[in-house]
Amino acid sequence: MAHIQMSFYSNALKKNANVMIFLPTQDADDYLFGSGNAKYDPNKKYQTLYLLHGSYGDCTDWGRLSSVERYAQQHCLAVVMPSAENSSYLNMDYGEAYLDYIGRELPAFLRIMFPLSEKREDTFIAGLSMGGYGAWRVGLEYPEQYGAIASLSGGMQMRKIHSGHSAHMDKMDKNYQAAVNGPRNTADPRNDLLELLKQDLAQGRQLPRLYMTCGTEDFIFPYNESFYEEAAGLAPITYVKHPGVHDWVFWDTYLREVMDWLPLAGEKV
Amino acid sequence: MAFFQVNFFSPTLCFNTDINVFIPTPNSDELLNKKNSTYYHPGSKFQVLYLLHGAYGDYTDWMRLTSIEKYAQNHKLAVVMPSASNSFYQDMYRGSKYLTYLTQELPAFVQSLFPVSPRREDTFVAGLSMGGYGAVKLAFQCPEQFAACASLSGAIDLAAVMEAARSGDLESPFRWDAIFEDPSKVPGSDADLFALGKKRMAEGRKLPPVYQTVGVDDFIYPANVTAHQRLVEMGVDVTYVEAPGIHDWDFWDTHIQDVLNWFPLANKEVAL
Repeated sequence: MAHIQMSFYSNALKKNANVMIFLPTQDADDYLFGSGNAKYDPNKKYQTLYLLHGSYGDCTDWGRLSSVERYAQQHCLAVVMPSAENSSYLNMDYGEAYLDYIGRELPAFLRIMFPLSEKREDTFIAGLSMGGYGAWRVGLEYPEQYGAIASLSGGMQMRKIHSGHSAHMDKMDKNYQAAVNGPRNTADPRNDLLELLKQDLAQGRQLPRLYMTCGTEDFIFPYNESFYEEAAGLAPITYVKHPGVHDWVFWDTYLREVMDWLPLAGEKV
Repeated sequence: MAFFQVNFFSPTLCFNTDINVFIPTPNSDELLNKKNSTYYHPGSKFQVLYLLHGAYGDYTDWMRLTSIEKYAQNHKLAVVMPSASNSFYQDMYRGSKYLTYLTQELPAFVQSLFPVSPRREDTFVAGLSMGGYGAVKLAFQCPEQFAACASLSGAIDLAAVMEAARSGDLESPFRWDAIFEDPSKVPGSDADLFALGKKRMAEGRKLPPVYQTVGVDDFIYPANVTAHQRLVEMGVDVTYVEAPGIHDWDFWDTHIQDVLNWFPLANKEVAL
């Protein structure tokens, strides 16, 4: 894999943004075994996973705290890890437009910059905790762009979690609190994943494949359970429970299951 | 500019290596000053400069010690900055194959991942000191790959550098016996740029034009004067500019701007 740290001016955010990217290239294993040249085929492109961090994190988290590079190499999958502060991946009342950035600007930018497939069936989005909510929020805002969406230990019921775990919310600055609980965001039903799902269906939009996983000892598990109960009546969802808590052991382990579940070609497409 | 730090496995070097890359993209300066940013769109390909560091340096030098990003943005030029250790840009006899890496693997790698033009007329190479030698070496080694090359305070006359290092006149990190099988046989070999240039011309291959600049108070100034004479005598298309200055980043930050003005740049994206 080529490991790329990118910094560029984002017009959606009105500031510079950092992104970490893995692109499958011929690695030492390929070299030793005389393989991997197909990764440079100029007529083919990479399947791409947008992988979102959680609260308090940034674009470096997945690379540092999981072995995502190794798993992505096995699947010949490009991985894009952006930063979104504590925005919940929304267009913030008092802050940056992260929903527009992750869902619109970044995919368009990166498809100019790198050989990433532009097809829906080759484009995926996943994340952990706040990023699990973010993956569903962005993915269901632009369902035509993603073939599949996955949440790991996601904050699926973001507002309920924040009211039930106010200590977590109280640590956040007011702009981030407002992103979830402020008047403009609560006024928009599309910030509620169940409502978003209903609206997409009512509009006849084709839904991506949906996935959620959560540790049964995770504080966020009850919210995943209640969310699934309601959402499963609306759309087919693959819901996988495992023993585990809200930590990187869980995410490193079950990111692999997410990749096994994604419709990956194992080579450029 | 979008700025990329890229770490990847190089099969040629047999280890992981780093490059820094700039690709022209609309920035806040262009937004604020209502400058044209239409160069950036799907299908855009950019002219590219391979920019080489000097002895003791690496891929981060040009970015840290000059404002190359700003200059390249003005020209809508992609910049690729690799590392080549203290190899003197050779395939080392007892060491890594930096020449092959830089002339074969790296251009293919960059072209396969980034929106840069693969054409000769869109590809340039420049460098400082050891990298000034390297720029001319790459251009003479593979004249079909580069539109032009530029040496800033370059060690173009390698034999003179080796003699200065041998005599103690020049502090040097170079292990000549690691770089070359027999250092005494460098004159007349492909590592000797005058010999390499003559060989290519005898093969009927057109050498890229050379830009050569040096500070008149630089310790490497006298060797550049004689190198320039020899290039002229060979019939090389060389533009020679000497200016006040020594062997330092003030000189390189100033004169890389002249180099970019001298290169035949489109100053916009190119159509393939």
